[in-house]
Formats: sequence, structure tokens, C-alpha cells
Amino acid sequence: MSDKTAQEIIDSTKQKEEIKLKGATPMMHVKVYAPFKTYFDGMAESISAVNDTGPFDILPQHHNFMTLLNPCEVIVRTGKTDERLQINKGVMHVKADQVIVFLDV
Amino acid sequence: MHKPNEIEKEEKAMATLVELTSVFEGIASMRISQIRNQVLIATKFFHELWHIYSQIRVDEKFHFGRSQPQLDIIDKELFIIITAEGGFSGDIDQRLVEVMLKSYDNSKNDVVVVGHHGAVQLAQRGVTFKKYFKLPTNDQSINVTPMTEEVRKYKSTQVFYQEYVSLLVQETRQIPLSAAVKERGAKSSAADELISESNYIFEPSAHAVVDHLENSMMQITLAQVILESKLAQYASRFRAMSAAHEKSEETRTDLHLAYNRARRGVKDERLKEIVNGMRKSGVSV
Repeated sequence: MSDKTAQEIIDSTKQKEEIKLKGATPMMHVKVYAPFKTYFDGMAESISAVNDTGPFDILPQHHNFMTLLNPCEVIVRTGKTDERLQINKGVMHVKADQVIVFLDV
Repeated sequence: MHKPNEIEKEEKAMATLVELTSVFEGIASMRISQIRNQVLIATKFFHELWHIYSQIRVDEKFHFGRSQPQLDIIDKELFIIITAEGGFSGDIDQRLVEVMLKSYDNSKNDVVVVGHHGAVQLAQRGVTFKKYFKLPTNDQSINVTPMTEEVRKYKSTQVFYQEYVSLLVQETRQIPLSAAVKERGAKSSAADELISESNYIFEPSAHAVVDHLENSMMQITLAQVILESKLAQYASRFRAMSAAHEKSEETRTDLHLAYNRARRGVKDERLKEIVNGMRKSGVSV
């Protein structure tokens, strides 16, 4: 495992401890983008989409996950607003509170 | 010698040409900067996707998104040639067609052509092509799905395209598609861990995800190659228009000199006639 990843884990753990202390809602970093456009890049409470199994939600501390997305509405909940995106296809990658949604691929 | 009013007309026509070439030059320059930006964004996206793919890839081979063997693979090599949609792009398409024809063998290759100009060039040389696609006009959503469907039918694929080196230099390139994908992937950062079913949840399955990613990267690579070709075509057009602009500007200056000379000639002629007339009528000059 690289040093950078180890540092990221330490930072993430610190962040989670701070959140627990403050009693704030846990957040994760979400990036939704296509080859030529970024639709969302920021912190979010959850993200919802649909795959072959059906609708699902990703929350902070989710297990490492990789899925192909079906045509659906992706909803990114930031706590203040809900970002809604209609997609045709995509790939979602979840790892260590980092969610990347590759659209149009 | 032409009359001044005739030269004036020619000069006006040339001035229009100067303005037109200047406008084309400006448009080409603007498109170059837009497309370069698009290429950079798409490259970043590709690297991120490749980074994930390289961690879950099961072997070194690129399978074109078909890890499960198919029975109906055509035992030929597909040539994809990416050319401009119209003229005004210098001689780069002719050069590209010449490069392709050096390796072309009717019994071993099928051709898919992108861009009307290339289709015309091939037809003029008596080369039949299997499919023709218009060069996408929109740079932000290039749909290459029909092209990748063709790619998957063949044993292997070579792509012939134009590469932008600089504003003044554009080169023709020939590369196997799988190598083009790997070449782009080699520029990505190295994989930092292994992704497998033991540490990840895959839906629907790891193989389906790998197939999908390979297919996606092939599509992005094709889209990028199309964008690079467009970039080279605009640069070639910019070069052609710059040369035309310079030439028309020179011609306009020459015409303006000729016009002044002709006008002076007419004035001199008139003056001569007046002086001769005055001499004949006995008026001292």
C-alpha cells in the first residue's frame, strides 16, 4: 500500500472522529463526470442510483463497491440540496468514502 | 494594360478574399484551442478509468470488451481511417489515404471510413469501404458505439489518423487500436492495489465490469483519436488559410500598385493630349 493511501486513511479516520465529536452527519466525497464534463464534485451525505439488482443508496463507510449503472436518475444528496442527473449508462466506483461515477461509459 | 476601374474591381474582390481567409484562419484558431481543451479533459477521464481497470485486470491482454470468446470473429484486420468532413484542410487527408493504401490488401482488410473527404479520396482510388461515418460535429458527445460494434467483429483493428504535433506540424499515424488504448494507459499512474472479489463487491460480476471498462476505454480512445484528428485538421486548415491569407494580401498590394500606376498612366495620357491640343491651337506652353 502506498504512503499516500496510508495518509488518506489517517486523514479519513481523523475526519470521522471529528464528525463523531461534533455530532455532524457523516459525509463522503462524490464526483460525477463524463469524458468531457464534470456534473458534480464535492461532499455529499448519500448517492442513489439503479443497477441490475435495483435501486440502491451509497452512504459513508460503504464497503468497496463497483457496479454498472442502468439508465436512471442519479441523486446526490449534499444535505442542503439534491443534485439530480438523468443518465443512460455509467460505472460507479466506491472506495474509502470516495465515490466516482463515470458517465457515458 | 488593364483599365484602372477593372483593376479596382479585381482589388475589391481580392480584399474580400483577404477578409474571408482571415475569418477562416480565426475560426480554425478558435476551434484548435477548444478542441485542445477537450482532449485534455478526456485524457484525464481516461487515466482515472484506466487506473481502476489496471487494478482489476486479469491479464496483460486487452480483449476489446469480449473476454468471453465469440464464434463469429471475422478473420481480417479492420482499417479505420479518420479524415476531414470537407475540404479546406490542406493535403493531410491525401497523405493519410496514401499511408493506408501502402498496407491495404483487399483480401485481408476491410475499411471503415470516417469523414466525407476520405470517402471521396478512397472512391477516387477505386477502394471500396465497408462503412462510412460522418465526422462528429459535436466535440462534447462523440458517439462511437456503431464503430466499436464493427471493431468487435474483427480479429484486430488498425486506426489511421492525423496527429497534432504543433500548429505548423501535423503527422499521419497508424496504430493498432489495442496499442492505442495501452499507450494512453501507460501514461496513467501505476496501480496501487489489486481489486478482486475478495475485497470488493461487484455488480453484476467482476468479468462484466472488466468487459464494460474495456469497451468504454476503447470508445474513449476512438473518441480521442477522432478529436486529435479534428485538431490536426483544424491546424492544417489554419496553415492553409494563413498561406492563402498571406498570398491574397500580397496580390491585393500588387493590384493596388497596378491600380495607382494605371491611374497615373491615364492622367499622363490626358495631360499629353491637353498639351498637344494647346500646341496645335497655338497657345504657348
